[in-house]
Amino acid sequence: MELFDTATVLTRVLTSGVVMSIEKSDRELPGLERLLTKKTGRSKAVLLNSRTGAIHAALAGQGIGHGDSVALAEPDAETSAFLAWLGVQVTSYDGPAAYDHIALDPANADRLGELAAGATAPALVVDLTGLGFGPAAAVLTDDPRLWARAERLKIFGAYDLRTMWTQEEADAELVPGVQFNYRLSPLVAACVRMALTQAARPAATSGATQS
Amino acid sequence: MITDFPNSPLPLPNPADLDDELAALGGGEIIPKAMRRTLFPVITKEDVFNLMLAQRQAPEKVVADFAEAYRAYVGAGYALPTASGTSSLHMALVGAGVRPGDEVIVPAFTFIATAQAVVAAHAIPVFVDVDPVTYCMDPAAAAAAITERTRALMPVHVHGLPADVPALRALADRHGIALVEDASHAHSAKIGDRVAGSFGDAAGQSLMADKNFPLGGEGGIAFFAEEESYERAVSYLARHGIDYGMSWVAAAFGSSQLKRLPYYDEIRARNAALLGEALDGTGLFTPPHVPDGHVHAYNMYRITLRPEDVGLGDLPVYAVKEAVHELLVAEGVPAREWQNTPIPCHLPFRNRDGFGNGYPFSLNPGAVRDHRPEDFPVTLGMLDSTLVLCRELRSPVEYERILRYADAFRKVARRPDAIRKLVEDRDYVRPYEKAARLG
Repeated sequence: MELFDTATVLTRVLTSGVVMSIEKSDRELPGLERLLTKKTGRSKAVLLNSRTGAIHAALAGQGIGHGDSVALAEPDAETSAFLAWLGVQVTSYDGPAAYDHIALDPANADRLGELAAGATAPALVVDLTGLGFGPAAAVLTDDPRLWARAERLKIFGAYDLRTMWTQEEADAELVPGVQFNYRLSPLVAACVRMALTQAARPAATSGATQS
Repeated sequence: MITDFPNSPLPLPNPADLDDELAALGGGEIIPKAMRRTLFPVITKEDVFNLMLAQRQAPEKVVADFAEAYRAYVGAGYALPTASGTSSLHMALVGAGVRPGDEVIVPAFTFIATAQAVVAAHAIPVFVDVDPVTYCMDPAAAAAAITERTRALMPVHVHGLPADVPALRALADRHGIALVEDASHAHSAKIGDRVAGSFGDAAGQSLMADKNFPLGGEGGIAFFAEEESYERAVSYLARHGIDYGMSWVAAAFGSSQLKRLPYYDEIRARNAALLGEALDGTGLFTPPHVPDGHVHAYNMYRITLRPEDVGLGDLPVYAVKEAVHELLVAEGVPAREWQNTPIPCHLPFRNRDGFGNGYPFSLNPGAVRDHRPEDFPVTLGMLDSTLVLCRELRSPVEYERILRYADAFRKVARRPDAIRKLVEDRDYVRPYEKAARLG
């Protein structure tokens, strides 16, 4: 994204006065969620402040936790270390993967839809850090239960901030365990959203090259 | 453009408003509905320019410059910028030497992140009651909870008032354990000349946009007294492949806000003093206690009720509080409970699933307790008898607003008859008997 575009986006969000992820009037985080679900064809999105937060959410969303084993395409050393920290073992590369992983940068951001189409796991981890605004990621899924569990991991509450952190449990199977603050800043979300939108824009033709 | 000047400034209070009927009973409101919204954080043109300038720099430099500027302001030895307050607390614990299965003593009254950060460090939170005057960790309760597996005390400077650091420091030293501050509410809070975040072996602090010192969205910072602790935290992140990195966008906003933090501090202190003076004159309300030598940051302002001083001593204090809450909200004062149940009684610490299958609680079953609210009588007593103002002291130039809040408290305190009638008409229950709430 051009410096001018980033400045425009940052100015727009700052002028709105809303930079807080827990602000009811925030529009940037829901906007990025909508864009990601539209581009990937998944029905639900969880936005997070890092790739590792997204991996954690993808696994916790499926009830995979300490002492459990998963199938994954061979993870890199950093991911292996993180999975070990979670207490999750990778025992098989043959079964259905627990999550698929896509890392976006300016060179491939226009191919998100195409890359997502090839993903088959229940959760799709999209690392948005390479777009240049800081650590950022998302989990995309069609599983509402996975989404609900992942949301609980990233925010302190059985539901969400719309209920002001009420911890009363309506669904006994959606039990909160450890909880992190994996929330993404609306400012970062706005920049990521603009970068993804521009990546999808068809290349403009100039008069000089038209025949 | 959002500035620190409100679009619709409140008029100065009219003394005649105090003689009006209570708003809940059909009278005029001290703060009309259309003028109740407060904006936070304050975002100025300079913030916008500073963010634009920051995007022309290397992201790593923007984050490092922010961390160094704030470290110097706090006076801590070393600083590690992170993505959130929770991650900063996690790193503070790791840096202080907390290891899997260790016990960390935390207060039963705090935000849940304090205890969840202990779990994130694969350790066990051991909950103790708070002091009845400061509402921070009670050193005597902490002393009674120390075992051979205790690795750290983790007091919270709750609402912005520094905990009893001298007593807790002495206790930690006596047992050879670490003192780790949760300074998430306590930006610029002080004991003497020292700033919260620099008292302990390590500290964590939230910098999310709702705090007195806000970043552009989410953020946190861990402080360390010794280089060895800092290095331990940094190598932990690398060894475990954890990304707790702070966004340059958030950091740039923080650098810009840091320049105005002393101004914000002065305004909050002024507002707290104005409100405190008014509350002291009501009989019913008492402002927060600030021990000598302490500077309260007033991230929140917890007001204690004394029903006995206005002839309501025969009523349950929680019922008086609920009635007063209703009456204040009707006047336009956004008073809140902010917590109604001790943290150990919230689901994550009743279920203790942790990272899954009970880890890390399974590492040290001897430290695990099935708590009931009654195990923390001081916390319960505080929840029964107090109300909180959150952002309401933080709107920097709204002098008129704080005067009107003061008038609303005066107006309600004048009407014990209305409070008594509400208590008789309603079916109030104790706070912890309702669904557990954090906010």
